Amino acid sequence: MSVAPLNLAWATQTHVRGTSSALGEPDWLTADRLAALEKVAELPAEPSQLYITYFDLRAVDFAAVEPYPPTPAAGDAADAQLPEGAAALVHVDERAVVSCALSAEAKAAGLVITTIAEAATEHPELLKGLLEDGGSLPADDTFGQVARALYSVGLFIHVPDDVELKAPIVLRWSVGAAGFGLISRTLVSVGRNARASVYEEQIASTQATTEAGARADSIWWGTSEVSIADGGTLDFSAEQDFGLSTAAFVTRQARVGKDARVNWAVASVGSRLYRSRLENLLEGRGAYVSQVEIQFGDGKQLFDLTSYTRHLGEDGTSDLLSKGVYTDKSRGYIKGLIDIPYSGRGTDSFLGEFSMLLKKTARSVTIPSLEIDQPDCRRAMHSSSVGPIDETQIFYLMSRGLSEDQARKAIIMGFLDPVVARIPLPAAQDRLRARLARKWPAGRAIVESAA
Amino acid sequence: MVSQPEIKDRREEYAFHDDIVYLHEAKRGLTRATVEEISAIKEEPDWMLQHRLRAYEHWLKRPMPQWTDGLDKIDYENIIYYRKPSEREEKSWDDVPDQIKDTFEKLGIPEAERAFLAGVGAQYDSEVVYHSVKEELSKLGVVFMGTDQALKEYPDIFREHFGTVVPPEDNKFSALNSAVWSGGSFVYVPPGVEVPLPLQAYFRINGENTGQFERTLIVVDEDASVHYIEGCTAPIYATESLHVAVVEVIAKPRSKVRYTTIQNWSNDVYNLVTKRAHAYEDSRVEWIDANTGSRKTVKYPSIYLRGRGASADIISVAVAGEGQHQDTGAKAIHLAPDTRSRIVSKSVSKDNGRGTYRGQVKVAPGATNAVASIRCDALLLSDKSRSDTYPYIDIQEDDTTLTHEATVGKVSEDQVFYLMSRGLTENEAQNLIVQGFLEVFTKELPMEYAIEFNRLVKLEMEGSLG
Repeated sequence: MSVAPLNLAWATQTHVRGTSSALGEPDWLTADRLAALEKVAELPAEPSQLYITYFDLRAVDFAAVEPYPPTPAAGDAADAQLPEGAAALVHVDERAVVSCALSAEAKAAGLVITTIAEAATEHPELLKGLLEDGGSLPADDTFGQVARALYSVGLFIHVPDDVELKAPIVLRWSVGAAGFGLISRTLVSVGRNARASVYEEQIASTQATTEAGARADSIWWGTSEVSIADGGTLDFSAEQDFGLSTAAFVTRQARVGKDARVNWAVASVGSRLYRSRLENLLEGRGAYVSQVEIQFGDGKQLFDLTSYTRHLGEDGTSDLLSKGVYTDKSRGYIKGLIDIPYSGRGTDSFLGEFSMLLKKTARSVTIPSLEIDQPDCRRAMHSSSVGPIDETQIFYLMSRGLSEDQARKAIIMGFLDPVVARIPLPAAQDRLRARLARKWPAGRAIVESAA
Repeated sequence: MVSQPEIKDRREEYAFHDDIVYLHEAKRGLTRATVEEISAIKEEPDWMLQHRLRAYEHWLKRPMPQWTDGLDKIDYENIIYYRKPSEREEKSWDDVPDQIKDTFEKLGIPEAERAFLAGVGAQYDSEVVYHSVKEELSKLGVVFMGTDQALKEYPDIFREHFGTVVPPEDNKFSALNSAVWSGGSFVYVPPGVEVPLPLQAYFRINGENTGQFERTLIVVDEDASVHYIEGCTAPIYATESLHVAVVEVIAKPRSKVRYTTIQNWSNDVYNLVTKRAHAYEDSRVEWIDANTGSRKTVKYPSIYLRGRGASADIISVAVAGEGQHQDTGAKAIHLAPDTRSRIVSKSVSKDNGRGTYRGQVKVAPGATNAVASIRCDALLLSDKSRSDTYPYIDIQEDDTTLTHEATVGKVSEDQVFYLMSRGLTENEAQNLIVQGFLEVFTKELPMEYAIEFNRLVKLEMEGSLG
């Protein structure tokens, strides 16, 4: 038994060649796209036998969506105003880059932000190194391969060796026009002993449909292809808040070098269907990943999140946490696998998957898995829990003067705070808190009706 | 490094093989005619033949599962699906043919019976050949007999329950068992009866390439209770053997059922078992399941909590040695309000053995106020061993309380060092630690079984260091 490959009408050689040539890419990039296209035709849409029970794309109408063709960046993109405290801003609105601006400090430090096509001319060796043999994306993930074959927007970010950027690089994506899909790739390369932070903001565009139909008719399809050289650190945070007529597919992969670190913090509150695959490859000795993900689902939202953490090198550490709150008819399918092959001696690994259901019709599926070939680990464990709000906590907070509703809200916000607190810009943090609170009235009505 | 005392592998001593003259042997391979022949030899009613044929059709249609590996390596066409070593069910030990008796003598069954057993159902290949039920049980109205015999003697209660917990269409191997089943135990405990002693069935497999397809059906009526124990040993053979069993347990309101298994098939057996219980209102079902033998075991004892207030307890332990894959686990499906489940799994992998925990806890809509806990621990004893943990947690009620924890580790060098400082050899120390790790299981066993199990673990552990 296996899941059939994705059947996408526009995943054709003609389309791929047309896109590559419109972007003026060299032949080797076109060939790389075609190699990915071959994989798309063959790969099952869900590669793992373990997860096919929980594979569900019914919420998206692929036939109703056309991918945007490559579109030139806005002429005044470089003049865009930076958000306060940011090192750079890239804003892609529907089909085109509308802002691409760097702070004076970032420019001086040598931060590179450009398109993949430009990078092929200006930084060919670096780009080839990142993309070699498709190694920046998991080979068995068809969603990542679709992006690799068909992207119309390709972003390339490079932080040179020894550069430490305190302010975050802001990537803003706004989509939602009915009938269109934006397919993109984002490459992030962090040099030796460099440090940077990326904040990705995914929101509904002004063209987004406000009424949610039966199925999503707009798609955001993208990647975060991260490579961190020895001693480097990347803080990558994201807030996914697309509109309810959008389906979002994201593949993220971090290759982490010796003593290098990646810290993921991803909050998902929007979109009709959000399918994410996150792959951590701890390649170098002493590599470290911290990953916190939160989800707050309402309506008919489905959050389908899979993460694979592979301890390829010795003495790696992974600390992985997923927390979800679900109300109405929303669902969370949270799958996490820690893989410790024989080479991963001395690994320390923890995976936690926790959920809270606020309504009887909501559903939480968690599958925290371990595959271990190396007995000599410092730690390999996972833990998971599902439960209602603890009544004694509510009672305690009420005894301190909060109303019951305030108490419930405080407990849920506290449950989700590990991610919120890691969003780098104060303004963005406040906005995410406000966004989570907006989910609340629905939750409140439900709690009351269940009581 | 401490020098290693030389230890002999004595597992041969625990393996038996006698040359048996089979009275009837089906041809190798499985066809519709094989199924019809089995049913005809057993003089079964037409409904059972139809049930078998329906299962056979499903076996043909159903694809081989891909989520675990190696099941397609079995040569299903080279298996003998039915053997009948003696003509009829035996009521008294004296009537059992000598040859078969010899093997049982080695296993110590008569002693066990004399000691305190309530009843013994012994399976020698495909038929129950020896069966005695103490008068006490008969007086209580408890039925404990071979499944084939029960089909003839208790046709109504049999037909009412057979295949209701595990239908042939449930999975590929429940279809195979339903098509060719033979032997196994049938237990019926009438309302209000508490069976005072455990019921024991000793299963034996014998004969190269012999399939063993027993079918066990246990019906425990309202307010009744029973403890059923099965243990397995098997001769060692070079070629692959197949054991595909189905166990159905029905626990009616307020009843209590405990089902204990010590599985020690020889290391050439593929052991593919579907075990499931339906637990009704305020009943309690416990699976106590240990797997030390077989080449590959695929078994996830399940409890469907169908009545309000039902509870489930599953303890599953597995020891995987050289060449073995224990793909075991547990399932608790909460279908009614106020139900509780607890799953404890412990696995030990040594040499290149592989221990996999696969489990599911599901809380269906309507199963309000469910409480569930899962605990999975694995020990890896060698550089080459492997452990996988795949728990599926699917919750569809907002007031569920579920906790799950899993750890994988090795035996701590500090512990070994400490025990050695107290005079134990390294091997003894490790053995003691493993026995302690598995104690959650052994403490649930009757004493003689606990002793036997610890002996099996020790046997498995010998020479595992170095």
